[in-house]
Amino acid sequence: MPFAGLAAVLAVALATGAPGLLVFPLFLILVLYVALFDDRSQVVATGSAAALAILVLAIRQLGQTSNLATAVFEVAVLGIVAGSVHEVVRHWREAEAKSEKKAEDLESVDERLRMTLEAATIGLGMVAADGRWLQVNDKLEAILGRGSDELVHMSLLDVTAEADRRAVDDALGQLGRREIVRWESEVQQARPDGSRSPIALAMAAISDHGADEPLLLVQETDISARKRLDAMRDAVVGVRQVIVSASSWEQAAPVLLGSLCTHLDWDLAQYWGADDDRRSLSLQTSWHKDGLNIDLDDPVRNLSIQAGGGLIGRAWQSGVANAIDDLAANDYEQAGAERVAGLRAAVAFPVIGGGLTIGVIELLAREVRHSEADLVSMLSTIGAEIGQFIQRAATAQALRRSEADHRAIYERSPIGIARVSGDGELLEGNPALLLMLEHDIETMRSQAWPDLLRAYDQAAGRARLAPLLAGIADQRGIQIRAATGGGRWLWLQLTATSIPDMSGRPEHMLVMVEDVTTVREAQDRLAEALDAQRGAFATLEKLDRTKTEFLSIVSHEFRTALTGIQGFSELIRDGGLETDEVRAYGGYIFNDADRVNRLIGDMLDLDRMESGRMSIRLADVDINEVMSDVMARASSSSSIVAEFKADLDPRLPIVAGDRDRLVQVVTNLVNNSVKYSPDGGTVTLSTRADGGFALVSVTDTGLGIPADEIEHVFERFRRVRSGAAQSIPGTGLGLTIVKQIVEMHGGKIWVESAVGHGSAFHFTVPLAAEHATPLQRRHA
Amino acid sequence: MPEPAAVGYGSSVVLVADDNEVAQRLCRRVLEKAGYQVLIAGDGQQAVDIALAQNPNLILMDVAMPTMDGLEAMRQIKAARPEMRVVIASAHSMANDRERFLAAGADDVLSKPFRLGDLVAVVARLTAKPSA
Repeated sequence: MPFAGLAAVLAVALATGAPGLLVFPLFLILVLYVALFDDRSQVVATGSAAALAILVLAIRQLGQTSNLATAVFEVAVLGIVAGSVHEVVRHWREAEAKSEKKAEDLESVDERLRMTLEAATIGLGMVAADGRWLQVNDKLEAILGRGSDELVHMSLLDVTAEADRRAVDDALGQLGRREIVRWESEVQQARPDGSRSPIALAMAAISDHGADEPLLLVQETDISARKRLDAMRDAVVGVRQVIVSASSWEQAAPVLLGSLCTHLDWDLAQYWGADDDRRSLSLQTSWHKDGLNIDLDDPVRNLSIQAGGGLIGRAWQSGVANAIDDLAANDYEQAGAERVAGLRAAVAFPVIGGGLTIGVIELLAREVRHSEADLVSMLSTIGAEIGQFIQRAATAQALRRSEADHRAIYERSPIGIARVSGDGELLEGNPALLLMLEHDIETMRSQAWPDLLRAYDQAAGRARLAPLLAGIADQRGIQIRAATGGGRWLWLQLTATSIPDMSGRPEHMLVMVEDVTTVREAQDRLAEALDAQRGAFATLEKLDRTKTEFLSIVSHEFRTALTGIQGFSELIRDGGLETDEVRAYGGYIFNDADRVNRLIGDMLDLDRMESGRMSIRLADVDINEVMSDVMARASSSSSIVAEFKADLDPRLPIVAGDRDRLVQVVTNLVNNSVKYSPDGGTVTLSTRADGGFALVSVTDTGLGIPADEIEHVFERFRRVRSGAAQSIPGTGLGLTIVKQIVEMHGGKIWVESAVGHGSAFHFTVPLAAEHATPLQRRHA
Repeated sequence: MPEPAAVGYGSSVVLVADDNEVAQRLCRRVLEKAGYQVLIAGDGQQAVDIALAQNPNLILMDVAMPTMDGLEAMRQIKAARPEMRVVIASAHSMANDRERFLAAGADDVLSKPFRLGDLVAVVARLTAKPSA
C-alpha cells in the first residue's frame, strides 16, 4: 500500500508538474506511517522509494538548480524522520512485548503453585510467634479437620496431641526468639473427633522488620498413610521375628500381642482361643500398654464367646477380620463391654491354622479410629501366619516332647539299647549298654558287638540277623552268655525289633540288651535248691524206709531170740523133762535172753550217738595202754583159741579221747576178730603215729569178708552170714557203733579184707593238741 | 515116694529149715515128741536139696537164712514138687509179711515166737491124710 501511494503521488506530480516542495509532505506522511506500523525493512524500502521519487521529480524540472538541492534536502529529512520514528516505535513495541510476557509468566507460576498445593497434601498457614493461627489454606483446614474461622481462635498447640505439645511449644519459643529460623518434626495432631493423625510439621520464621517477633510460616503434611504403611510393615516384620525366635505359642503369644500393639498403636490386644470342643472361645492371653487401666482379674477371664456373637464371635465364625470404629455405637460383646470400658475402637481377626479358625486376636484402642481396608487385610495375613505358627509350634512341641521322651528312655533306660544297621553294624548304643558290657562305643562297635551278634544268631539258630530285617521277629528274647570288657561273664537277654522306614520296609533294628545274670543265677540256684530239696525228700523217704527196715530187722532179731526163750520156757513150764534137758534148755534161754539184752543196749547206744544225745568226754588217753588192757582181758577168756600179738609204737603220743569209748571200740574189733577166726589164727593189735593222728589196727587171719560185703560192714544189722560165718552170733550193730564212736572222736575207720586171708580194721584218733609232737609228755 | 507116705500118722516126715540152732533144737524136740520124723536143714540150699531127696510130708521153713532165703527155697521146691506142703515159720512179722508169704505159695504161716501147741496143730493139719 505505501508503494501504491508513492507511485500515485509520483504520477500526479509528473503529470501536473507540480513543484517538488508541494509533493514532499505526502511522501513524508507515507514513510512516517510505514515507520510507525511496519518493521525495519519495510521502512527502508519505503524510504528509499520515496527518496527516488523525489529525485525523479527534481531531475525532470532540471534547469532549476535550486530544485535539485531542495530535493536532496527533502530526501535527507525524510530519511532522518523515518529512521527516528521507526526506532522510537520499535523500542516502544519491545518494551510493551516484554511487559506482556512477564505478565503471562507471572500468571502461570501462580497457577502451577496453586495446582501443586491442591495436588499435594500440604497445608500451609501462618502463625504468630505464640502459635496463634493467622491464616490457613484449605489443605491445612482439611488436615486439621477444622475451618479457618474456627482456627483463628486457636493455637498451633491446641491442635497438637498432648504428647508432642511441649516440643512444639519449645520450637515456637526458639523461633520467636530467632534462635533458629526453621524447625521440623513429626508430631501427632488431634482432630476434633478425637482421632489423631501423624503430621510432618515444618515451621520457618518469616522476616518482618517491623515487628519484634517474626511471623511463622507453617507447613503441614499428613503422613498418616506412610506412617500406617510403615507401621504395618513393622508389625508384620515384628510378628515374623517373634514367630521365628519363639519355640511355643505360649511363649510367643504375649510378645506377639505386644508387638502388634506397639507397631500398630493399639492399647490392648487379646487372644481368644477356641476350646477343645471348638464350641466357644475363651480369653487365653492379653497384652496392654502401660497405663491402661483395665482390671485383668475380672470375671471376663472365664468369659466364653460363642460363634457369631459380637465382633470376636463374628470373626471366629466368618474367618474374616472385622473392625468396629466406635464400640459405643456397635454390638460389641456385651459381657466384654464393661471390661473394655474406656476403649473405643476394635479390630478382630481370625487366627487360621490347618484350615480351621483356631482363635481370634482382638486389638482395642482408647480412641475412635477408622481401620483402613489395608490394615484389615494385613491383619488377616498376620492371622494366617500366626495360625500356621501355632500349628507348627504345637507339632514341633509334640515332636520335641516325643523326641525328648524317646531320648530320655534311650539315655536313662536301665536296659541296654542298640541301634543296629541292616548289616548288623552297631550304629548307636545307649549308656546302659556300654556300662553293662564295660566298653566304650569304639571297642563296643568293633569287637564286642560283632561277638554278641554272632552268639545271638547262634542261640537263635540262624546264620544271620537277616530274617529280622525281613520283618520276621524273634518270638521271644534270646539269652546268651557274654563276657564284658572287664572279663565278667553275664547272661544277656537280647530282644530285637525291626524299625521300618517311611515306606514300611524294615530298615534298621533296635536290640534291647538286658542283663539277666542275677535272674538267671537265681533260677539256677533255685533249680539247685529244688534238686537239693528233691534230694532231701529222697533222703527222708530213704530214712523212712530205713526206719521201717530197721524196725523190721530189730523185731526179727527180737522174735528170733524170743522163739528159743519162749519155746524152751514153755517146755520147762509144762514139765516132764529130764534134769539134763532142763539145764540145756535153761542155757539156750539164757543165751537168747543175753543176746536180747545186748541188742537192746547196742540199739540204745546207737540211738543216743546218732541223735547226738551221747557226748564223749575228751581226755588224755594213752592208746597203747588201752590196747594192752583189751588184749589182756580178751586173752584171759578160756574159750579163745586165737593168739594175740601186739605191735605198739612206744613213741605214740597221748591222744584226745574218751577212754571208755575207745576201750569199747577196740574190744568190739578184737571180739569180731576172735569170732571170725573160728579156727584160731593170730589177732594183731598195732598202733603208730600218722600225722596228727594215732593209727590203730586190729588184724586177724580169720574168715575174711567177701568183696561185695566189705562196703556194707559198717551198716547196722549187716552181718556176714555166708559160709562159715553164718553161725557166728552178733547183733549186727557192733561195727556201726564202732564207726560212730571213731567219728565222734574226729577219726576215720576202714577195713581191708579178703575171704580166707582175714581182715584188718584200721581207725584213727587225733593226737592230743599239746602232744602233736611225739612223746614229750611220756618222756618227760 | 510111696514109702514115707505109707507110714502112719505118727511117722510123717517134717523138714525143719532154720539157720538158728536154738530154733532147730526146739522144733525137733517138739515135733519128735508129737511123733513126727524130723529132718534139719541149716540154710535154703540145704532145704531144697533135702526136700527133693527125702520128700518130707511138710517143710517148716525159716525165711532169713544164709546162701538162699526160705522163700527162694520154697519156690524151687514148689516148682519141683507142687504138692509138697510148706509152712513158713518166720520172725518177720510186719503187717504185710503173712500175705507176702501166702502169696509166694506158702500153705500156712507160723509167726515166731510161736506157742508150741500152734506148731503141732499146723503140722498135724497139713500132714493129715485126706482119707483120715
